Amino acid sequence: MSTKEYPIVESAESFAAALARVREAQKAFSTYTQEQVDAIFLAAATAANRARIPLAKMAVEETGMGVAEDKVIKNHFASEYIYNTYRNTKTCGVIEEDPVAGIKKIAEPIGVIGAVIPTTNPTSTAIFKALVCLKTRNGIIISPHPRAKKSTIAAAKIVLEAAVEAGAPEGIISWIDVPSLELTNLLMQESDCILATGGPGMVKAAYSSGKPALGVGAGNTPAIIDETADILLAVNSIIHSKTFDNGMICASEQSVIVEKKIYAKVKKEFKARGCYFLNDEECEKVRKTIIINGALNARIVGQKPVTIAKLAGVEVPETTKILIGEVESVDISEEFAHEKLSPVLAMYKAESFEDAIAKAEQLVADGGYGHTSSLYVDAINCKDKIDEFAAHMKTCRILVNTPSSQGGIGDLYNFSLTPSLTLGCGSWGGNSVSENVGVKHLLNIKTVAERRENMLWFRAPEKVYIKKGCMPVALQELRDVMGKKRAFLVTDSFLYKNGYTKPITDKLDEMGITYTTFSDVEPDPSLISAQKGAEAMRSFEPDVIIALGGGSAMDAAKIMWVLYEHPDVDFQDMAMRFVDIRKRIYTFPKMGEKAYFIAIPTSSGTGSEVTPFAVITDQETGIKYPLADYELMPNMAIVDADFMMSGPKGLTAASGIDAVSHALEAYASMMATDFTDGLALKALKVIFEYLPACYDNGMNEPVAREKVAHAATMAGMAFANAFLGVCHSMAHKLGAFHHIAHGVANALMLEQVIRFNSAEVPSKMGTFPQYDHPHTLARYAEIAQFLGFGGKNDKESVENLINGINELKARVGIKNTIADYGVKEEDFLATLDEMTEQAFDDQCTGANPRYPLFKEIKQMYLNAYYGNNKDAV
Amino acid sequence: MKFDNVLAERKNKVIYRDGDLAVKVFDESFPKSDILNEALNQARVEETGLNIPKIEEVTKIDGKWAIISDFIEGKTLQQLMDENPDKLDEYLELFVNVQMEILGKKCPLLKRLQDKMQDKISSTDLDATTRYELHTRLASMKRHDKVCHGDFNPSNIIITPDGTPFILDWSHATQGNGAADAARTYLLFCLKGDKDLAEKYLKLFCEKTDTARQYVNAWMPIVAASQSVKGNPEEREFLLNWANVCDWQ
Repeated sequence: MSTKEYPIVESAESFAAALARVREAQKAFSTYTQEQVDAIFLAAATAANRARIPLAKMAVEETGMGVAEDKVIKNHFASEYIYNTYRNTKTCGVIEEDPVAGIKKIAEPIGVIGAVIPTTNPTSTAIFKALVCLKTRNGIIISPHPRAKKSTIAAAKIVLEAAVEAGAPEGIISWIDVPSLELTNLLMQESDCILATGGPGMVKAAYSSGKPALGVGAGNTPAIIDETADILLAVNSIIHSKTFDNGMICASEQSVIVEKKIYAKVKKEFKARGCYFLNDEECEKVRKTIIINGALNARIVGQKPVTIAKLAGVEVPETTKILIGEVESVDISEEFAHEKLSPVLAMYKAESFEDAIAKAEQLVADGGYGHTSSLYVDAINCKDKIDEFAAHMKTCRILVNTPSSQGGIGDLYNFSLTPSLTLGCGSWGGNSVSENVGVKHLLNIKTVAERRENMLWFRAPEKVYIKKGCMPVALQELRDVMGKKRAFLVTDSFLYKNGYTKPITDKLDEMGITYTTFSDVEPDPSLISAQKGAEAMRSFEPDVIIALGGGSAMDAAKIMWVLYEHPDVDFQDMAMRFVDIRKRIYTFPKMGEKAYFIAIPTSSGTGSEVTPFAVITDQETGIKYPLADYELMPNMAIVDADFMMSGPKGLTAASGIDAVSHALEAYASMMATDFTDGLALKALKVIFEYLPACYDNGMNEPVAREKVAHAATMAGMAFANAFLGVCHSMAHKLGAFHHIAHGVANALMLEQVIRFNSAEVPSKMGTFPQYDHPHTLARYAEIAQFLGFGGKNDKESVENLINGINELKARVGIKNTIADYGVKEEDFLATLDEMTEQAFDDQCTGANPRYPLFKEIKQMYLNAYYGNNKDAV
Repeated sequence: MKFDNVLAERKNKVIYRDGDLAVKVFDESFPKSDILNEALNQARVEETGLNIPKIEEVTKIDGKWAIISDFIEGKTLQQLMDENPDKLDEYLELFVNVQMEILGKKCPLLKRLQDKMQDKISSTDLDATTRYELHTRLASMKRHDKVCHGDFNPSNIIITPDGTPFILDWSHATQGNGAADAARTYLLFCLKGDKDLAEKYLKLFCEKTDTARQYVNAWMPIVAASQSVKGNPEEREFLLNWANVCDWQ
């Protein structure tokens, strides 16, 4: 062994000097490459491995505890297994990178690690801790136990000298030569992280030092031998484990709990293999020797059974492997129920597997929370017992058919359990980690996350049929292609009474499809009427649902469809707000398993025939449930202007402006795409061109009617994907509180919203990766240009757009202000705050490019009420 | 001053009765600081309102330091226990009640038990390993501020004719963890050879104070080590056996 001299660390001053040396060395070490570090790790592990025998002998000689040959295994394990596990592990610089996702993880050392080393495994723990620190570019200062300081320091020296020889900075490993509690406490306070292995006092000191600590806890491993166990394997595994290093491994079995059916056989096997069963009198003597006032007698730790027996005044054969006390109580007052750190074992007889588990639970509670438990069982046929055992044990390692000393430290009896000589015990054991401690616990991982944009989509009904007079052609495939047999029509009483359903039912008759008609849909479809419709559906059992009408009929039919296929859905759950439809908490039920859904609009505006939205009102509570999910998307939309020819003026105007607001909001939305933009722009252009004709003389303007019908559906497809904005949020509440028709309500808010969204310095912008700066002014200007409104700059274009919209509104008879629609000022002001808050929380607000403040929404409402347009927010 | 009425004689002090006063006269070998400290401790505890003899004077008599305090008429609880073995349970109950009353007091200027134990462990002749274990154990104990008598045993309680208990001998008083004081009392019973009474006492103490036995047990090695400093050779082996324990590692 080396004769190199190092400065002695024995006082606060010499400790401070040592710390400064290690800090300096670690600073240099932190710049080393993975290749350099791996070379050092290899050299250090090799040197420790070579010294395994002298170090083992030295530890036994110095501490007077344990078995040299077993300590050789521990040293071997600490060098070879640790090296093998981490040889290819990346611990320097970039350790993980996903350029597509824009994520990079960078490993950095922690700094100086304070390592407390116990007497039970002095050399192996020192080797282990020093090696994992080297692999992670950390410096380490070791605080040995006074009883094991020579051997601990010898092990540290060997690792240090090999590391330095391989290029590590001088002084990267240091140690306290004259250990004292004061210096140990100082180390804990001064280091960057503590690897504390030791008794509860030590671990507690580590955790109370204020530095992050990886401590381990007490073990009181119970081993159950189930009646299905392989007794030969079980008994010999326990002996192998319990005798290892004279029982000093903290994971070692302390009690064996044997089911009564096999108790005699187990006892016989223990006896046959050299274990000594204490009689009552001997048991009492050993009991009082091993534990003094509830604490472990230091003189028995790691001693041979014969030595312990002698101390207790009991004669046993020299070759005795384990002293076994057959005891009954699992209470802490029973000395045998304690952790014994020696080849002394308690043996219990269990009435049943449940009783065995109950006993094991108590033993763990007595002093082994979080550590290790063990079960011997038929692992092939009794998986349920393993599961039950695992469910009950508050231990972080649950070993099956495995000697727990060798098993708990990992990689010897299971090759996926991380090898380590520091076994985390989780919060149960007062630890910060619950697994076997390794290099990952000694690194700071920096995550570099680059901005990424969300995937977007374009979704529409699988079939959208368009042409004046196309309905019969479109429906033909119900028979020819789909073989549908039973159709359920949903419409309102006006349409029904005026014969709108007749062409459809004629076609169904022609195809021999049975049908029934539900014609009770109200203007604001209620939950009750939807429930009635769904009930009718359940008794009729349609395989196709045909919704005919405006937004109300189509929305009502969608809700009936949901209730028909999933009678138990909860509307509150379905209506839960989301930020991102893909991340929503609620999973919408799968639709279409019973019926195919066809929507045929009779007005041009709502777009419901191509959207995944529906609104339903619970009239009992007055709550409106806006539902949004692509499951609600109709399977087929039939846009046939024949159904729209006789639409009244007011409806034509309101729904036409509704479609304008859909297109404008979809275009301004943060989720707008090139796909939705094209639809929105074209829809706007068509409406501006043809809506006045529809309004003036709709009955006789088939081309204009068809054009506007298509435009409304196109705008629907745009907002079905790009969603809407704060204009709809406010319109929804205006409608709900003051009964203003939806299209009109939007019309009243449009100017306010365009001005609001156009702000180049908004108080807050919307949150969405694609929306990188407030640019909605330019977006509106694009619309103005496309519509031919001109303008010499964006601001002027947007003014022109606003004027154009106002002209169109006036042209189709829409009034200027909320007041104009007969809403009394006092009523309006009385509801203003509530409307404001509800509009803010409306689902549509989420896609708006400007994130509105309450006061801003309120001001927009006030402006729209008084027509105060020049004083916009 | 007449000193013919000797109340008690210890290794290096004699206690006399002088009318209503008790006079404790110390040998010259006794350190002055210890004597003054004892008087100060007693004066401090007086202020807690506990029933204890009041200090009347600290003086020198014939060149020897003496503490003069009130004389308390009555029998010690130890005497009563010896005389009325049938009433042992009743006395034990009283004994624990008195201890609980003491532990219920605060006396912020008394020395801290933790510090006293720290010094005691350092001044034992235990080997470095055991001292290290004991220091570590002590450091992990909860720090409380209850008045601890430090030598609480039945011979330090006097029951007056009207049945009022007075607590004597405050030379070892500290403030700290009550479980340590209970461990000390348990140890004192054991040292007297009365293991059964010790068990009975501790059981009662744990019950009445709702303390876990292992919580008191955890102090045993520490109080045993500190007791060993007093250097009673016949007790040494017993005490060291208690002190030489270790925690799991």
